[in-house]
Amino acid sequence: MTVSAFILASTEAAVEAADQSPVEKIVDKFGLHWSLFISQLVAFLIVCFLLKKFAYGPVMEMLEQRKHRIEDGETKLIEIEKQLEESEAQKAALLEKANADAKRMITEAKDSATAFGEQKAQEAVAQAQTILNKAQEAARAERAAMAAELKQEFGRLVVATTSQVAGKELNAADQKRINDEAVSSLN
Amino acid sequence: MFSIIRFFTLVSAVFFASASSSMAAEGHDHLPASAEVLFEAGWFKFTNSTLMMLIVAVFLIVVAQLATRKITLVPSKLQNFVEWILESLINFLSGVLGESLAKRTFWFFGTLFIMILFSNWMGLIPGVGTIGFFNVTPDGDPYPGDTFTPLLRGANADLNMTSAMAVAFAILWFYWAVTETSVKDFFAHIFAPKGKFEGVMLVGMIVIFLFVGLIEVASIAFRPVALMFRLYGNVYAGENMLESIMNMVPLDYVKWLAALPFYFLELLVGLIQALVFTLLCAVFLRLICEHEHDDEHAH
Repeated sequence: MTVSAFILASTEAAVEAADQSPVEKIVDKFGLHWSLFISQLVAFLIVCFLLKKFAYGPVMEMLEQRKHRIEDGETKLIEIEKQLEESEAQKAALLEKANADAKRMITEAKDSATAFGEQKAQEAVAQAQTILNKAQEAARAERAAMAAELKQEFGRLVVATTSQVAGKELNAADQKRINDEAVSSLN
Repeated sequence: MFSIIRFFTLVSAVFFASASSSMAAEGHDHLPASAEVLFEAGWFKFTNSTLMMLIVAVFLIVVAQLATRKITLVPSKLQNFVEWILESLINFLSGVLGESLAKRTFWFFGTLFIMILFSNWMGLIPGVGTIGFFNVTPDGDPYPGDTFTPLLRGANADLNMTSAMAVAFAILWFYWAVTETSVKDFFAHIFAPKGKFEGVMLVGMIVIFLFVGLIEVASIAFRPVALMFRLYGNVYAGENMLESIMNMVPLDYVKWLAALPFYFLELLVGLIQALVFTLLCAVFLRLICEHEHDDEHAH
């Protein structure tokens, strides 16, 4: 094709364009063509479909899932915080009660220990007194026995001495009389 | 005629970024208003913007698949990023549409926003609009007029793409409006008098609101047109501006420097246009569904 042929073709096109309606001119000017329009439309709708299948569907589902998880997490967090507050309060109450109990028990133990100590001290004193009394009584009895034995010995010695001095054998009645006199002289 | 000329097209060169833009400028003095056909078979045409749209679509699907292939409760970096985008989007849409309607329509609005945004941004990658081939006639002469055909063109710089999204929305808008309310409520929302009237006043209001309804129908009919031309116009104008600015610089290897500040502007425009398109669609849907919801609240 030569340049002149192109100019001829352009001139023919210009003449054709002059006969066109405004809409036809616009369509021609901007290259609107039904096959291009349909192919672009179909391509666009295919992209819509594929993006919905591969992007919007899974992503929206994931966003929804994440949203629910966050909501659940928030609800659980609130519940946990509430439970924590309750358990803190319970712990504080229990600690307070335990403290009070401990104080009471310590006081009771102290009182009990004091009373027990006093009781034991009193018992010890009483026992000691009893032991002392028994010892005193034993000492007295022993002294009395020793005194009686001493008296008998003293009487025997007086009888023996008298018998030696008198140079004769004393009869039982004399021995008894001398012995009784000697013992009575000791009293 | 056009297809015959295309048939004799020869791929003569492929260049990257600024180097190619300088060469492209020799036979490509302006960005054509329509996408250029790379090949066609009968009624089927395949344009450079269609190729770009497919690349964006494949990119998005691969990212989505990678992010959700091993989805876990404790997210990986990519899963976290995708979740962040989608959660932000659904929250944004819930603010306009309400939670229930936003969830129901998210497959469309989410794709709409993501598709527009990434199409706009990927259209700014160096090589888009500059990698391509020169057309020559069967005689080997440069093709008269615009001789350079880029392999890739911003997907939204093609009215076919923006109109496909706008028309898809228009159909879905009607479907969602009817299913969210009812056919009766749908038409009542457009044509019925608002407020309580009696007697002659009621007759007058019926006539007035019938007229208002007709205007509303015209307004509804023009919404997709406005949507598709707004997005197309902004993206096409941006690409045109970048190309024009680069062509203004005579030195080949610093052409990119002149356009650099405008790339940041175009990044912003890409985001804003994605937001505007999605937000307007959401607001249009909200407006038609609002009537019924308000009545429910009133009851």
